[in-house]
Parts: sequence; structure tokens; C-alpha cells
Amino acid sequence: MSIIQLNNVSKIYNPDTIPVYALNKVNLEIEEGEFTAIVGPSGSGKTTLLNMLGGLDLPSEGKILINQTDLQSLSSKQLIDFRLHNIGFVFQDYSLLPVLTAKENVEFIMQLQNRSKSEYEKRAMELLKEVGLGERMHNRPSKLSGGQQQRVAVARALAPKPKFILADEPTANLDSKSTNDLLDIMKKMNKESNITFIFATHDQRVIDKARRVITIDDGAIVKDKINTAIA
Amino acid sequence: MIAAISWRNVWRTRLRSLVIIMAIAIGLTGGVLSVGVFNGLAEQKMRTAIDTQTAHIQIHQKGFTDDYDIHYFLKNPDNILSVIEMDNRIKAYSTRTISELMIRTANGSAGVQLLGINPEAEKSISTIWESVVDGAYFEGIKRNPILISQKTADKLKVRVKSKIILSLLDTDGNAVDAGFRVVGIFKTSSSMFDEATAFVRQEDLQRLTLMEGVNHEIAIKVNDPEEVTPVIADLKSNLSEDLQIESWKEVQPELAYISDMTGQMNFLFLGIILFALAFGILNTMLMAIFERVKEIGVLMAVGMNKMKIFLMIVFETIFLALIGGFIGIIISASLIIWLGNQGINLSVVGEGLAAYGVGQIIYPQLSGAFYLQLILMVFFTALFSSIYPAIKALKLKPIEAIHG
Ligand SMILES: Nc1ncnc2c1ncn2[C@@H]1O[C@H](COP(=O)(O)OP(=O)(O)O)[C@@H](O)[C@H]1O
Ligand SMILES: [Mg+2]
Repeated sequence: MSIIQLNNVSKIYNPDTIPVYALNKVNLEIEEGEFTAIVGPSGSGKTTLLNMLGGLDLPSEGKILINQTDLQSLSSKQLIDFRLHNIGFVFQDYSLLPVLTAKENVEFIMQLQNRSKSEYEKRAMELLKEVGLGERMHNRPSKLSGGQQQRVAVARALAPKPKFILADEPTANLDSKSTNDLLDIMKKMNKESNITFIFATHDQRVIDKARRVITIDDGAIVKDKINTAIA
Repeated sequence: MIAAISWRNVWRTRLRSLVIIMAIAIGLTGGVLSVGVFNGLAEQKMRTAIDTQTAHIQIHQKGFTDDYDIHYFLKNPDNILSVIEMDNRIKAYSTRTISELMIRTANGSAGVQLLGINPEAEKSISTIWESVVDGAYFEGIKRNPILISQKTADKLKVRVKSKIILSLLDTDGNAVDAGFRVVGIFKTSSSMFDEATAFVRQEDLQRLTLMEGVNHEIAIKVNDPEEVTPVIADLKSNLSEDLQIESWKEVQPELAYISDMTGQMNFLFLGIILFALAFGILNTMLMAIFERVKEIGVLMAVGMNKMKIFLMIVFETIFLALIGGFIGIIISASLIIWLGNQGINLSVVGEGLAAYGVGQIIYPQLSGAFYLQLILMVFFTALFSSIYPAIKALKLKPIEAIHG
């Protein structure tokens, strides 16, 4: 059973003035444990698609089911809560809270879930060790490199135990070494813990590591390919 | 952690936060100092009036204070005094015989309320003996001494030892002229009281008005000003219903009014200052939110609900305001305590103050309860000024905020 299911999803911006068909009747299923890249040129609709998958925006037409939940059936309050418990986000510019340390950034999201102190402290430390930042967890983001911040962001995205992680251009601001480190970490989590990752990217380094590559152009899926060469 | 985030957010744009914090601190210091002075003025006016004019409690025959008709004298003074003597909350009392009359000299005349007093007993309830600026308090003149105010002396152009004529009516309604000699000249901080009052020995006034042994008034001081009300209640239950037993507030309602009004004006005044500060706080918070649009969008995206975002902004505003409030209160409370001992010399405007009924040195004062109320006011100001920015933050849409 798929964790994500899109049926005829369209997104039209400015429907009343100059309509932009950012997504056009997209049908898509994503299974648990995928490591998938959504690729396409700039303006092709990758971010729009990710926003739909993340419940940050609702489609103009069609239906989105995440774990059998129809996102359109949720109130805006329920939607925020749904995101908190089901979807992990990684952003291009890391977007950590600058006033919190690495550890606090990871803990905070679990506090929002009302987990116990002992639980979130333990998990935050484990996750930061996993992304290789055990030594830097008491640093604030401004004291960390971009690559390190993005690894904290991955730890934060994983902390609430979401069903999948959405990462929009996560490597766009990173150098090769940081990109490779980050990808290795995510790949390892994907293999060992079966965590689902979905990227929007046009970074070849990411595409090369993806097992499934979905290409979109002009808001429509033009290619959907499994790369069997990748484990 | 929301409160921790709010607290740290206060210090992110340190300079901007410090500017508004100092604005609050300075605004409050100015406000509190002024309020302390107003309060000190009102307190001093009240205390002066109690010490020189009203004492704490006055007893009259009912009807006497309507138009000071000398026939409304106390019917059974010995009984009243024995009840007073028995109440150990009462510190002292003095009996008075009162007559409204004209003082005449070659240079003019003045209408006064003449208080016939027992000089020694009067000392125990009034500080008028300390207010004698020339001559002496009933010393040095044997026959018919009179104590008049500086004002009256100036008006009638008389000095100590000058002779003046009192024109009064005796109990049978006959006009009587009697010669008195100025024994002393007094000056209190209330020019209104000074103008209208003169003192003679009680027995002199009783003899002239043919009212031997007659008292019109008993003025009482209690040990603890808080006990005025219960003491009056007990006196009323133990004494005849013919008596009018009043507190200083009833004797001079304007005094109580001034003290109430001062309290209300003070809070209004501080309210206006805080209201103005509220806009500064609001502006600071709007700027903070404007700068953090993206950050707030991310928080919403990852699952921070509106309630928590709202709280985060309200907390930050409250921290900002309370820091300013505490600094302001520490500065102003220290100043008030220091000036309260030192006094502020306002002799520049001394004449105006005398008309108001206080001396030239003002001792600002404020109670602990006042500061508590002030902190509460600061708190609610912060709450008030946080609402608009917080609502503004809630209106942000995560995708728009993130992609700016
Ligand atoms: N908020 C918006 N309002 C109007 N048009 C938008 C908005 N967001 C995106 N678009 C348009 O939708 C299309 C897809 O954009 P986007 O999903 O951001 O593409 P990508 O992420 O692949 O670069 C583009 O033509 C873009 O201009
Ligand atoms: Mg994009």
C-alpha cells in the first residue's frame, strides 16, 4: 500500500487573472522506503509538487491521500498537526531556529509533539550522533557550516518519526563534500531504517544516488524511472 | 521551550530591544517620579491638615457646624470626656469653644473663626504651637492674649503686643467689644486656614460670651490613623445620638477627595504613559515579526500550531516590557526612597504650594502596593501591544513565508 497517492492533481496559480498551471493532472504513487528524486528544469513544478505532498498547499483539483488520509478533509489546524506527526521537512537554506542550539532545534519539534523530556533528549542525541554532529550539538546554527546545519535539519526532520521526508533542493547551497556526506547519511538511514526520502532537485549528484527518478516538465510527469543499478 | 525561544529572541536584535527597554524604563521613571511627587503633595496636605486643623476626630453637638451658632454647645461634656478617657486607642484630646467674629484695628477688620483653646491640651493634638513665627505661644501676655496668623497680622497691620478689638455676640445676643493683645503670630502651610483662624484662651472666650464651662468641639487624635473608623463607631455607640462624631474626612471632605482624586489621576497619568509606550512596543514587535516572516513560516510548516506561535510572540512582548518595567521601577523606586528622605525643595513655587496647603519641601512617596499595581499595568500593556503583532504573525501562510 502506498504512503502517498496523487490522483489527477492540478495546481493552478492565479486562476482569476493569468492562470499558471504549475501542476497538470499529476498521478503518482510513492511507497514506503523509496529514495526518490523529482527532477526537472527550474519552473517545472517541483516545489509545487512537494508543497502538495507536504500539505503546505492544497491542490486546485484532484485528490491527495497520505497514509489513506485525504488532506483536503482536514481543517487548517488538523493539517498543521498532521504535518507535525507525519511529514519531515528539509529546506534549501536549512531554516533552523537561530536562537536554539543544534540539540534544542531537534528537541523542540518533539516538544511540539508533547513527548517526555527524557524521550526527546535521548532521541535528539542519538539523531545528532547519527548525522555526525555528536560533538557539536550545543552549538547554535551560526557556529555550524552549511553542511552541518543541513545535517541538523535532517535530524530535526527525522525526530518526530514522520512517514516520509520531503527535501526541496537540499544540496543547492552545499559544496561537493558536504553534499556527499549528507547524501551518504540519508542513504544509510534509508537502507538501515527504511526511511522514505523524496527530493526535489536538479543536482546531478542527488539524481545519481536516487533509486527512482521522476521527471516533470511544465507541471506534468514526463518520465518515471527506477534505477535498478542503485541498491 | 517556547518561553526560552521568546526570551532569546528578545536579545537577537539587541540594540533595538535595548532602545525600547530604555524607553519603557525612562517613561516609567518619569511617570513614577511625578506620581510620587503628586502623592507626596496629597499626603502632606492631608497630614498638615490633620495636624493643624482637623485632628483625627471631632465631636460637636448636632447642628453646630451648620452655621456655628454658639447655642449648640456640647450638652454633657464630662460624660463625653469620661468615655474618651476610657478608650486607650485615643492618644489625646482637646476641648474648644468657638465663636465667629470680627477682629478690628484702626487699620481694618477681618472675620475669623476664633478658637478658644486650652493651650496645653491643644499642644497634644495640634502642631499650631510649632507654627508660631513671632512672639510666643500664649506666653508673655497675661490679660486676653490672642494668637493670630501672619496673614491676618499683615492685613490688619499689627505686630506682637499690638492691641486689637474683638467684636462678638454673647449668649444673650448682646454685642460685646473686648480688647485683646497679640501674643504670637503663626503661619501654617495653609494660607486658607491662616486667613480664617485665630486662637484665644478658652476661659477668656467663655467669660466674654457668658458661656462659662461651655465647649463646642472636642478634637481627638488616635494612636494609629487606621483606627479612626472603629474608634468613631465605638464612640457613637457609647455616646448620645445628639452628637455629631466625625472623622477628618467628614470634617474636610475635600481632603479625602484630594487623596482619592490623586490616586485616580496618578493611574490615569501612568495609563497615558503606558499607552504611548504600547505603540513603541507594538512597533518593535512588528519589526521583529517582519524580519522573521520566513522563520515563522518554517515553524508553521514543520508543525508548530497557531496557539504556540501566538504564545511565542506574546511572551517575547511581555519579556521586553517587563525588563523595561523592572529597570524603570528599580530606578524610580530608588529615586523615590532617596527623595522621600531628602525632600525636594520647591521654594521657587512655594507661594503656590502654600495656597494648596503644604510646605515648600515635598517628600515624594509611594507604597509597595503601587509598584505591584504598576507591574501589573506594564504586564497588561505588553499583552495589549502583543495582540496585533501576534495576529499578524498568524496570518502568515507557510509556503508564502518560506519562499518569500
Ligand atoms: N505562488 C505562486 N504564484 C504564482 N505562480 C507560481 C507560484 N509559485 C510557483 N508559481 C509558478 O508555478 C510554476 C512552478 O513553480 P515551482 O513549483 O516553484 O517550480 P520549480 O520548483 O520546479 O522551480 C512556475 O511557473 C512558477 O512561476
Ligand atoms: Mg523549486
